[in-house]
Amino acid sequence: MGAASLIVLILAAIAFSAGAILIAKVVTKATKNKQKAEPYESGIPTRGPSWVQFNVGYYLFALLFLIFDVELIFLYPWAVAAKKVGLLALVEIIIFFFILFMGFLYAHKKGALKWK
Amino acid sequence: MTASQIIFYLISAFILSMGVLSVTSRKIFRSAIWLLFSLIGIAALYFWMDVQFIAAVQIVVYVGGIVVLIIFSIFLTQQSGKEMPKAPLLRTIAGALAVLFGFAFTFLLIDQYGFPAIDQPFDNDVARIGNAMLNTEQGGYALPFEVVSILLLAAMVGCIVIALKTKPEEK
Repeated sequence: MGAASLIVLILAAIAFSAGAILIAKVVTKATKNKQKAEPYESGIPTRGPSWVQFNVGYYLFALLFLIFDVELIFLYPWAVAAKKVGLLALVEIIIFFFILFMGFLYAHKKGALKWK
Repeated sequence: MTASQIIFYLISAFILSMGVLSVTSRKIFRSAIWLLFSLIGIAALYFWMDVQFIAAVQIVVYVGGIVVLIIFSIFLTQQSGKEMPKAPLLRTIAGALAVLFGFAFTFLLIDQYGFPAIDQPFDNDVARIGNAMLNTEQGGYALPFEVVSILLLAAMVGCIVIALKTKPEEK
């Protein structure tokens, strides 16, 4: 039952969005001009390519984010079980956080979190 | 074929087609976006298997973390918007052969396993994962849980050391 209704939902979603696009295509009168193709219509003309090289800082922040992202994953099962396990759970998560906090301090000390 | 099976084949077709598009796309940024869709499809497969926690991990870590990292590393290069040259024929053949052998190897290994049906219901409650993770008694995973934080610490120190290596030239 659940799976069948999911299939119906997928088909309905495709039909609705495709239908909206098709009706818009049929009903509206399409005009084409140079102005319309600009990134900011009736704005300042853009200069230079948009494919620019990013600052290396973004990459570093993404790397650090990923590590704390993985850390976050462990928080969910901990949070569900913490109440039942009691004080021991608190001690365990404090040890866990303490070790990771050392890494955070290291990153801070090395200037990895400073925007250059 | 039941409706559940249809869903499975739909999701699998989605994952595989996105994977093929990711490999065959000439623009590296588009490859990353196709990869993103493929990973979302895998999360859908986990939801289909009723393992919600793993599905959430898949979305948070792979879709939200690793793909972002890949996109940033693409933008670090200068050729992010350029179309890559077509691979030479010899390399295409070699790649196809490697894929074929890899597939045959995995298929034979998986095929040996009989996939027996189990009687007891599959319990994948997050609370159970949490209890096992915090259990300090025999068979508990408290020590691995703490060791994971050391592993993450090592990863963090490693990535800072490597990423800040090229600092002296600028300024």
